[in-house]
This record gives sequence, C-alpha cells and structure tokens, in this order.
Amino acid sequence: MSQATVELDPIRLEIIANGLRSIADECFVALMRSSYSTNIKERKDHSIAIVDKLGRLVVQAELTLPIHIASMGGLMKCVLEKFGDDIHEGDIFVANDPHTAGGTHLPDINYAMPIFIDGEIVAFICNIAHHADIGGMVPGSMAGGMSEIYQEGLRIPVVRLFNKGELQQDIMDIMLLNVRVPEERAGDHNAQIASCRLGERRFKEVVDVQGLPSVLSAFDEIISRTNKRMRDTISQIPDGEYEFNDFMDSDGIETFDIPICLKLTVKGEKIHLDFAGTSPQVKGNVNTTLNAVQASVNYALIGALDSDMPSNQGALDAVEISCEPGTILNCVFPAPVAARAHACQRVIDIVLGALSKAIPDKVIAAANGANTTAVFSGVDPRTNKPYLYFETIGGGMGARATKDGKDGVQVGITNTSNLPVESIEQEYPLRVEEYGFVEDSGGAGEFRGGMGLRRVLTPVDHECVFNGAGERFRYQPWGLFGGEAGGSGRFMIDDADGVRRLADKPNEVEVKLGTKITVETPGAGGYGKPADRASDAVSQDQSSGKFSTDYINKNYPTYGTGGQ
Amino acid sequence: MSWTIGVDVGGTFTDFYAANDDADVFHVYKTSSTPSNPADAILNGLDAMCEKFDIPKDDIVRVSHGTTVGTNALIQRTGSRVALVTTKGFRDLLEIGRQTRPHMYDLQKDHPAPLVEREHRIELNERIGAAGEIVRAPSAEDIDAAIDEVIAAGAGACAIGFVFSFRNDEHEQKFAKALRKRAPDIAISVSSEVQPEFREYERLSTTVLNAYLQPVMWHYLETLEAGIAKRAPNASLGINQSSGGLMSVGRSREFPVRTALSGPAAGAVGAAHAARQTGRRNIIALDMGGTSADVALIRDYQIDLAFDRDVAGFPIRMPCVDVETVGAGGGSVAWFDRDGLLKAGPKSAGAYPGPACYGNGGGEPTTTDANLLLGRLSSRGLLDGDMGLNPELSREVYKPIADQLGFTPEKTAQGMLGIVIANMVRTIRTISVERGHDPRDFVLMPFGGAGPLHARDVAVSLGMKEMVVPAAPGIVCAQGLLVSDLKEDFVASRRIALDTAGLGALAETLEDLNTKALDWFKGESAPDAGRRVQLVVDARYVGQNFELAVPVAEGATLAAGDVPNIADMTAAFCAAHDQAYGYASETDPIEIVNVRLSASAKLHRFEDKPAPTADAGEPTVRDTRQVYFTEEAPVEARIYDRAEMRPGQSVTGPAVIEQMDTTTPVYPCDVAEMTPDGHLIITINPEAKL
Repeated sequence: MSQATVELDPIRLEIIANGLRSIADECFVALMRSSYSTNIKERKDHSIAIVDKLGRLVVQAELTLPIHIASMGGLMKCVLEKFGDDIHEGDIFVANDPHTAGGTHLPDINYAMPIFIDGEIVAFICNIAHHADIGGMVPGSMAGGMSEIYQEGLRIPVVRLFNKGELQQDIMDIMLLNVRVPEERAGDHNAQIASCRLGERRFKEVVDVQGLPSVLSAFDEIISRTNKRMRDTISQIPDGEYEFNDFMDSDGIETFDIPICLKLTVKGEKIHLDFAGTSPQVKGNVNTTLNAVQASVNYALIGALDSDMPSNQGALDAVEISCEPGTILNCVFPAPVAARAHACQRVIDIVLGALSKAIPDKVIAAANGANTTAVFSGVDPRTNKPYLYFETIGGGMGARATKDGKDGVQVGITNTSNLPVESIEQEYPLRVEEYGFVEDSGGAGEFRGGMGLRRVLTPVDHECVFNGAGERFRYQPWGLFGGEAGGSGRFMIDDADGVRRLADKPNEVEVKLGTKITVETPGAGGYGKPADRASDAVSQDQSSGKFSTDYINKNYPTYGTGGQ
Repeated sequence: MSWTIGVDVGGTFTDFYAANDDADVFHVYKTSSTPSNPADAILNGLDAMCEKFDIPKDDIVRVSHGTTVGTNALIQRTGSRVALVTTKGFRDLLEIGRQTRPHMYDLQKDHPAPLVEREHRIELNERIGAAGEIVRAPSAEDIDAAIDEVIAAGAGACAIGFVFSFRNDEHEQKFAKALRKRAPDIAISVSSEVQPEFREYERLSTTVLNAYLQPVMWHYLETLEAGIAKRAPNASLGINQSSGGLMSVGRSREFPVRTALSGPAAGAVGAAHAARQTGRRNIIALDMGGTSADVALIRDYQIDLAFDRDVAGFPIRMPCVDVETVGAGGGSVAWFDRDGLLKAGPKSAGAYPGPACYGNGGGEPTTTDANLLLGRLSSRGLLDGDMGLNPELSREVYKPIADQLGFTPEKTAQGMLGIVIANMVRTIRTISVERGHDPRDFVLMPFGGAGPLHARDVAVSLGMKEMVVPAAPGIVCAQGLLVSDLKEDFVASRRIALDTAGLGALAETLEDLNTKALDWFKGESAPDAGRRVQLVVDARYVGQNFELAVPVAEGATLAAGDVPNIADMTAAFCAAHDQAYGYASETDPIEIVNVRLSASAKLHRFEDKPAPTADAGEPTVRDTRQVYFTEEAPVEARIYDRAEMRPGQSVTGPAVIEQMDTTTPVYPCDVAEMTPDGHLIITINPEAKL
C-alpha cells in the first residue's frame, strides 16, 4: 500500500460509492448494447465488477448475476498469481477455464483490465459475458452427456489479450477459430473490450474529482462495512447446528441420486457451512468449482437475511465454507462443469432448507432448483447458414412464509430474461407452439409453490438437433413445514411414433419435420400445511385453471365442503 | 383576440397558463387539484381564471391538457375489468412477462400481478408466422366461442393481441370486427393498432394497459369535453401524449395508454420551448419537486424519446419522453443505511406533514430542512411569504444525525445536499453518458419548486458551464402544453435489408405511411403551414437485437423519392451507432426492423422578443442574509425579488433570487442575467472547481 489512506465520513463515502456504482452500471449497459449474442443483449447474461489491486471485489453493477461473482474473484486471483508484477498499462486479460483460471464454466468469458494511475495499478475493471457458443462437441457448449472438460469447448487459461494496448491477434484468432458462428463471437469480444476501456476512462474521471487516496480508502471502507453488516446479520440467526440433505437427479451419463449434504453452524457472528458427505465429482457436467458454491451460498444468505446488502468481498469473507476437493461441489480437473448452475441452484435450496430450522419466516421452500436448458441447432433453410438457439427457462419459485411462490420465473443465481417468441421465430427456423404454465406443478400448502413453465417447439421447413439439460426432473422441489413438493420437469418428443419422454439430459436428439419438442420445467414446493390454505386462495387456484379439480380434491379435501 | 390555455394537473395543484399572442399577454393561475374528479378543478379553475383576468371565454380557441388520470388509474389499479384474447398456447404470456424477478436478491418482491385474471385470458386457435403468413386461420365457430367468453367475463374492455400481428393484422381485425358487432358496448384495444411492433410481451402489455384505461378515460374525457364545450364553445381540446405532442380527444379515447407519461412530457416540451427562446440547443432538463426529480435530454431543441418504458411496473412500448425519475425532492429524508452510509430518499416526508420546518409535526430531516438551515431558503418560505418556515425545527431534526457524525448541523445539511445531488447526477448520467452524450455539451435547465436550489452543484459535478432557469419554473409543464404540436407516429414493423431491394421496400412503406399521415392531418384539421413529417428507421446490424432510431428524411410531406441512398443511410446509422456504443462498421450488413413516420402540426407561433436595452443595470437589493454556498462558512448574500428584475439586468453572486414558485441561489462570482423572455441565464464562474 503505497498510497496514504484518508479518513472518510459516511457522506463522502456514499458519494464515492455512488460514483463507482455508476461506472459499473454504465459499463453493463454499454456491453449489453454493443454485443451480438442474443444471450447478452436480450437476456442480460453478463456482469461487471470493480476489483481492487489485491483482487477483492468492491462494487458490482446492479444487474450483475449472482453466479458471476465467483468468476470475478476467481479470475483475479489467477491473474495476480500468474502475472504479479508483470502487469502493464493497457494490458487486458481474458480467461474462461474453471480448473486453471477461476472460471465456472467455459461459455462465460471473463475479462479484466488493470487501471493505472501515475504508473501504479490501483484497480481492475472486470466483465463476464456468456457467449452463445465456445466450441466443443455440442453446439451451445451446454448440453448434457459431456464427460470431460475438453468436450465442453475451448479452454482459455489467463492470457494477456492486449499487451500494453496492443491486441495479440494470434490469441483472438485461436479463440475465434474454435467457436461456432465466429463473426458474432468477435462482436461479443469487441463489446467486452470496449466495456473495459469505458470503465477505465470513467474510473479515472472519478479519481480526478475525488482524489486517489479517497477512492482507495473508499474501497477498504466499502468492503469492511459490508463485512460488518454481514456479520451483524449472521449474529441475528439463532446459534446452532442445522443440517439439510438433498439429492440431484443425475449427471446425465452414469450417476444417479447424487447426495448434496450440508451442516450449517452458526455461532455469534460466525457461520460455517460444511458440505461433508456430498457426492464425489461425477462424470457428467453437473460438477461445480468451489467459487461458484461460494457465490451460491452468498446469494442464499443475502436473499434470506438482508437483500439490500451490497454484494462484495466483505460479504463473501464473512462466510466460511468447507468442501473436500474432488467432490461435486469442489471438483478438480478434468471434471466437466458446463451445467454447474444445476448444482449451484441446489446449493441455494439446501442452504435455505437448513436455515428454515433457524429463521423459518425468512426462507422459501425449494424452487425449481434447476437451470433448465434447451438448445436447438441446425441449418436455416432460409439462408443456408448454421444457427444455434440456446435458452434457459425459468420455473416455480418456492412458497414463502406469507405468500405463494411466484409462477414461471428465474430463481436463485440466475435472472436472465426469456427470448421473445417473435425473436425466436424471426431469427431461427423454429415455431413456438405453446408457452405457459404446467398445470398442477405448484406444490400445495398454506402458501403454494410457483408453477413450472412449458414450451413446445417445432422446426419449420427443416430438421434440427435438440440438446437439453434438466434437474429436479426426478427429485421434486420439496415443501416446508407441511407444504407439498412441487411438480418435476421433463423433456418430451412428439413425432410419428407418438409422445415419449426423453432423457433428463438429452444429447443430440434428431428432430424431424413435424416433430414437437416439449420442455417442462419444475414447479416449486409449498409452505405450511395445505389444510391451512385460505379457502379463497384455493378457490382462485381452481378458477384460474392453474390446478385441476383432481389436484384440488386431493390436496384440499375439505375445500368446498364447508370445512375451511 | 384569441386565447390559448395550457392546463397541467398535478398531485397537489392544477396549473393554468393562458396566453394571448396577439396582445403579447399571458397569465398564470393555480388552484388545488381535485383527485376524485380532476375535471372539477379544471372547469372551476377555468371559470375563476377567466373571471380574475377578464378573459372572454368565447375568445378561447384552444385548451391543451396534460392528464394524470391514466397514470393514477394504473398506479392505483382502478381501471376497468379487461378480457384478453390471444393466440392459442399463449394465455400465460401476460403473467410470465420476461420470466425475471424485479430484484435480484429479494426473495419476497414480485412484479405486479397482471391486470387480466387468468380466467379472463382467452385463447383463439389462430396463428400467423414470422413472415406474416397465415399458419392457422381462426374458424368462425372458434371466434364465436371466444366472443361468448369475453361477454361472460363481464369485461368493460377487451384487449386483442395475437403473435406476429404486427406483420399481418388480418386475424386481429377479423376478431375485433366480430366482437364489435356482437358486443358494441365493450371497448376494444387491438395490438396491431395500439403499437404494431415486434416483441409480443411488450406489445401485449401495452395493449392490455390501453384496454384497462379505455373506459376510465372515456368517462373522464366525456365530462371534460362537455364542460369545456359549454364554457368555451370555440375551443378545441388537445390531450398531451407521453411523447410530448398533443392528440385529439377522439384519439385519446382510443389510445389512453399514450397519456401514461403525459405529465413529465409536458415539462420536457416546456423546457424545449425555453431552450428555443434562449437559443440553447442542447439542454438537460431537471424538474425537481417535493418527492422526486425528473430528468430529460433535449438535443437540437428536440426531446429525446425512448420506446420502452415502465409505468407502475408494467412495460409500455411506445414513444415516450426519455425521462428518468429519481427519488430526490424537497421532502426526501436523510437516513443511515445498515452499513453506516448516509442516504437521501427515496422516502419522502410528502406534502403532509412535510419537512420538519413546516411545523406540521414532520420529525425527519429533509432536503428542504437542509436548505433552510443553510440560509439558501428564506424562512419566509416559498409562495412569496405565504408559508413561514421554522429553521429551529430543521436544526432539531438534523441534530441527532449530526451528533452521530460528529458534525455541526450545517455541515450535516451540506452533506445531505451533497448526496441528493450525487443521486441526481447519477440519474443524469443514465440519460446522457449511458446514451452516448457528453453532459458538458449541454446547458442545465432546472425547474420545479426545488430544481434551481440544487442545480448549481449538479452542473459543476457534470462539468457544465451554464444554466437556464425558466421565467416561471413552477409552471413549465402548463407552459409546455400551450406550445405543444399536434403529433402522431405511424409505424410499420418489417425487416428490410439495407440494399437496393430493401430501398424499394422502404420507399413503398414510406408511401403507405405518408398516406396515413395525410389522412390524419386532414382528420385533425391541422393547419397546412405547420405540417411536418419525419422518416425514422429503427435499424441495427444484422444479428443484433437492439435497434437505434435513425432519422433519415424530413419535410412537409414525403414521397418515395425522398428515401436517401444506401451510402447516406449507412452513414447516418453508423454515426448513430458510434454515438451510442462507441464503434461502428461501414461494412457489416445493416437491417431495418421498424419504419416510423412522425407527423406533427405546429399550433403555436414563436416570436422573438426585442433585445433588452443595453446597460439595464442591477435590480434593487431587497434584503441580505447569511448563506452557505460551500461547506466552509456562510457569506453575506444579497437577496433579490425576481418579479422586480427586468430583461438585460444581471446579478453577480453571492446572491439569492427569490420568486413565488422557486428560489435560485447565485454562487459567488457566478452571473445571472435575465433574457427578454424573462429566463435567467446563469454563467458559472469559470474558476469554479470542475
């Protein structure tokens, strides 16, 4: 620390923090607007952070995805370890590899640019964007069935893409040669680079106004105050040991019923999450690296306890996590990880499940607990060009202590929007036949769980290939305090041979003309006993058509008999 | 002698601005709003104003009105019961929206529930494809059955929204026609008429909002129109739209959703008018009131528009003034966040009890209290001394947080204002920097009761060198209504490649739209002289999913031959892309997704006032008092009454210029000069720390 630190009052600190948030938000919008991937433009699957020179996360853009926190920190650790003193003004680093570069899965490409003031590094501006493809054996690089990281796409260790302001074209050429639709991906890279440079420029403007010592002191203050806030928040949880276990369906290849176990211990302002007993890493790509688990735990704690808390290093550092290397939640090379979001979503469910015993009013029942993925690819007969349509589809949100879970929504570590049907059909030779709720999929309870979503697609004038990945397709999202489990999800095919259920992580399914693919995502669990559900709420469940009469009769047998 | 009148209905006051351009006379009038029926305040106020200023009602030729009836009905959810008819397979779309949560981490917060209950969302077995082709035509039986359901729902209005109807509206029209025939009393909103653009959820949401407001607006306008016709038989009534132009009562009944941002739009139009009068082409308008501040950009005297806004949590996709709102106003409350940072707003003390200094029992430290403590605001208060303010009460409420900080109450108050200003600066950056505009190229125009009080620090934070405080900052909205043009947008949503074949398609589309515009001019009896149409294309690089609105041709009328060549269109698009995103490629293929023709008819004449006499001198000093302009210490400032200032006169700070509706501090060495139209131009001392 060469710069002098200055004392900042809460007013000055708020003004500087405001300026830093403004930078992150502006870079977020700039990246969204100038990128090419539908993923980024329409679905906002990207994030921005300002990191200090030690690699600590200081400020994130407001719309940053909770999962991306992990890669920001992970990337910075690797940049500093690998390049240390050999970082220069104008350098820009790029990486994506989960095993060597702090990433969480290959399609998320991470950028970091050092910011120099008077010849010294003072901070980094980082961004992450989910590219629609990163090569590998399957278009979209996200499907099930992959068993080692090499199959999932191009691995990029931390490399210096710009050397003192000079683009290393060779590196860019390698990155682009290995991905599908390289012209679009080049546009995404350019957007990420431009966003870094914008952040650098804006950061320097803030330093000009506030002075470097104040800005650097603000970094420390922001982190330490959030850390204190998090510890205070933790201390409000009653001391104790809380256990919760759940199973993931499968790895899509050979392993089924994968245990995820948690013992959560709270003592004063300390919290420790021990995942002992959790499954060893698996052959299929639902493994995750530890930093993504850390991001998931962070999400669950902030969501349950203090949702306005700034999400930065201070929050992360207040939490202790133990998890054996080589397990599904702390996987090591060469584990495949493309669908790591499934494991992350499950971590959130079980953290909330464990906390339900300590702070029942603040948690929610199990949500759709998945990141149901559907990828269609083929050659567009209108243009004879290959296309790739990738989307993750939301589902039910768990019921809450005072109200029903939301129907058909992204939950947990992701909040990406859907692609409009009119975008899908204009851009890809596909037709969406149906997009709605899955009947009876919300778990019954005093407050019911949210509904899963159904999408039915069919190819237009050509044959295509379908890949997908689902979770909670067998292990249903559980309810709390007597609430029933929500419905599970499934993939189905409807062709000349009739309607059949596909694998839960289907790989390279041929879709002929006239064939329909149905994606149904899981619902969510209920909260409290169904017998305690208000009769007007049951009445609405029925009149809205979201629930069948059979479901109502089964779950609320006294409804309509004057019993409630 | 002909009078035109602008009426702006706000939450607290209904403001009138009456002008007689022949005699160069204008009058301002204020009365309390009547929220239960806003028309009461308008009609009674009109009577009272005409009597007070001796305006013969027969001489009123136009009444222009900015209404919050629609906005309030949305916020309070007091619109009509709506049935929705949509494509088979999509009844849940309205509820799913974009499948996102409104807050990333909050497990309890949801988007508002949809305005149409699921049981009233009716599916019709029909389908149009991406190219506008008919995939499935609806059968007569299915149409009949759907109409049965609409009628059974007991709805006052029906929204009709089918997938790809912006490409081909045949099914929507067919259904609307059948419904109208069987149920003539049900108001109908058709998505391909409300906003024929792609993205089905946003179009559907806009259409549902329109239907939701139709019966309410119908009723309101009927009362208002009859009341005005009775009083001022020669007056035509114009309703302000969210895009900042007027429309006829007939069109407002059909498309009430277009009034959802009517209020802020009027403010922006008023600001644009003052911009023109002062010759400042590029303006950032800052309208700061009691609870919030609205900021908007004016470039080249034109209001920046946005096409995707939210009102009351629902997306509205149509041209609206690109205004951002921040919870920073006179009543904003200072508080400590859980991590000990001081915050200002969005919580507000409201009109009652209001800031502590009002003496109505307000117990929390507000922005107004801070200004009073610092001497920036007179203890006589606003409204020319009608309302006494008590600085001791302000000091009392600031003391606890000052003690916590270890500061004096004055320093704490300065800090509070600093945070309010930082919040406004951040919001201005959103509409300027994030859209590719450098605020240093703009002049700041503060208005509303609290705008001028805080503008100087905002300007300096953004590197701006000049400010314009309009003549009557409290009634800029009413004034804006008076100078508004009649406006209508015609849009065709189709994908057109920017190549030779595409130009042909564009020319054809332009001809279609121009015919529609001509019909509209005729229907609205728009005067020939002020007619104007502008061709705007929403374009993007192929593969992108965001469009930029690029104006490419303009004239009194446009024909196929007015479509520019490919090189010019490419250049215009690339310039816009570079401006917005910082890069552009001349070689990447470009496509157009929407073609828009904006038609406007000028109703108001602009006349230049004579230049003021040179060396008009300084106005009379009314008083002096100690005022904090910076953190360190107060200085003695001269106090002026703006009503006594004459064009050409100037004031050098430290000074405070007070008037009925606002207070303008002039910082040490800044110079405020009055223009012929009564606006104040404040030049910021070039030595000021930028």
